[in-house]
Amino acid sequence: MKSKLEAMFLELKDTSEMMVDLAYSSLLYDNVEIAEEVIALNDRMEELSERIQDEVAQVSRAMPDEVARAVITVRLMDSILEIAEAAKSVADVVVRGLAEHPVLALSIRDSDTTICLAKVAPDSILAGKTLGEMSLATNSGMFLLAIRREDDYIFGPGWNSRLESGDILIAKGPEDAVPYFKDLADGTRSEF
Amino acid sequence: MSDSDDISKLDHVDMSVRELLTEMKDTSEIIVDLAYASLMYNSENMAEKVRDLEEEMDDLKFAIRYKALLSSRTKEDARQLSGLLEVASAADRISNAASDIVSLLRFPPEKRPLITDVLLESDERIRMVRVKSESTMVGYTIGKLAIEANTGCKVIAIKNRHGWTYDPEDDMKIRAGDDLVVRGTDDGADLLTEYAYGKKDWDFETEELTEEEIEEEAEADQRVEEELSEELRGDDDE
Repeated sequence: MKSKLEAMFLELKDTSEMMVDLAYSSLLYDNVEIAEEVIALNDRMEELSERIQDEVAQVSRAMPDEVARAVITVRLMDSILEIAEAAKSVADVVVRGLAEHPVLALSIRDSDTTICLAKVAPDSILAGKTLGEMSLATNSGMFLLAIRREDDYIFGPGWNSRLESGDILIAKGPEDAVPYFKDLADGTRSEF
Repeated sequence: MSDSDDISKLDHVDMSVRELLTEMKDTSEIIVDLAYASLMYNSENMAEKVRDLEEEMDDLKFAIRYKALLSSRTKEDARQLSGLLEVASAADRISNAASDIVSLLRFPPEKRPLITDVLLESDERIRMVRVKSESTMVGYTIGKLAIEANTGCKVIAIKNRHGWTYDPEDDMKIRAGDDLVVRGTDDGADLLTEYAYGKKDWDFETEELTEEEIEEEAEADQRVEEELSEELRGDDDE
């Protein structure tokens, strides 16, 4: 069974990674809404870190043998929070309107891991299916960071998230997976 | 030039700001994966690579500051470059955090079980996969196989009889007995394992596109990308 601490820590780590990905996305598309989500996630990280500290303190009080583990846990937590803070700084550049330098977008596109957009067409194989049943990341090589649906965003979609026609997908992955991914979304390719 | 000696002391000044920032972003991503992997596999060798990358990142940071300051001519340049340098500094901070993570290696593994458990449960987790001699991957390069495009797993390190290679290039050949350290979803790693064990034949892209067709598709994709970018941005203003 997963302990409470483990579950919180898992959320901390996954959120920090999502924040970095979303921060680079906000930079690439000079998009304030995504940047603001990163900043909101950072606030959640701070709350989460306080709860982790409380839990660690409690566990160590109950089991003095756990103190060394507690110290290590808190140190790792600090490193993860530092990564989240760095993501927040990137988002802050976007919010302040300082993300206009063309090199910012170019260097994200040039990266080993690039970011791209794709719109789900009505006849796309992706429409109406959940990410889990498609194993989208495995089958396309692209990992979904966010879905733009009408005026809302779904950040960090999970296995149960269902894609709909008209969704704009923000995904990260290798450059050579991008054409295939876009073909799946626009209906050009009708099977995986 | 009297100042040429000073410049020669800075590494990477021959790179453009664009190249420097791309390198910093790539490094900031691979270094975190490697840091976690070093804890998972208790690998001092990986930790050493993390520290090397972190030093490299410091050199890149100074080089990008130098190049950015040199290229600033107007107030508008300065405004835009201030944003760019903040991003570069964020990438550097991420690499510092990665280097702090590997410093936890000095504690014995049994004192950090939580970390390993958490790393095994993450959305995108790190796994090690051995390539068996019966695998159809053997003899092909990472680029030819397009491992990440076909499985969603990014190869972050390879261990072969010559030792470790971190962040391997596309032209690196996969050989029987190689251990691949990959980052990806669980089912992606399962799929890769089937290929690596020879239980499933590698599915090479059969349709050969001409260079023109590839270029045309890339241009069309680029146009779509720009339209969708506008669509995202346009809604922002509402």
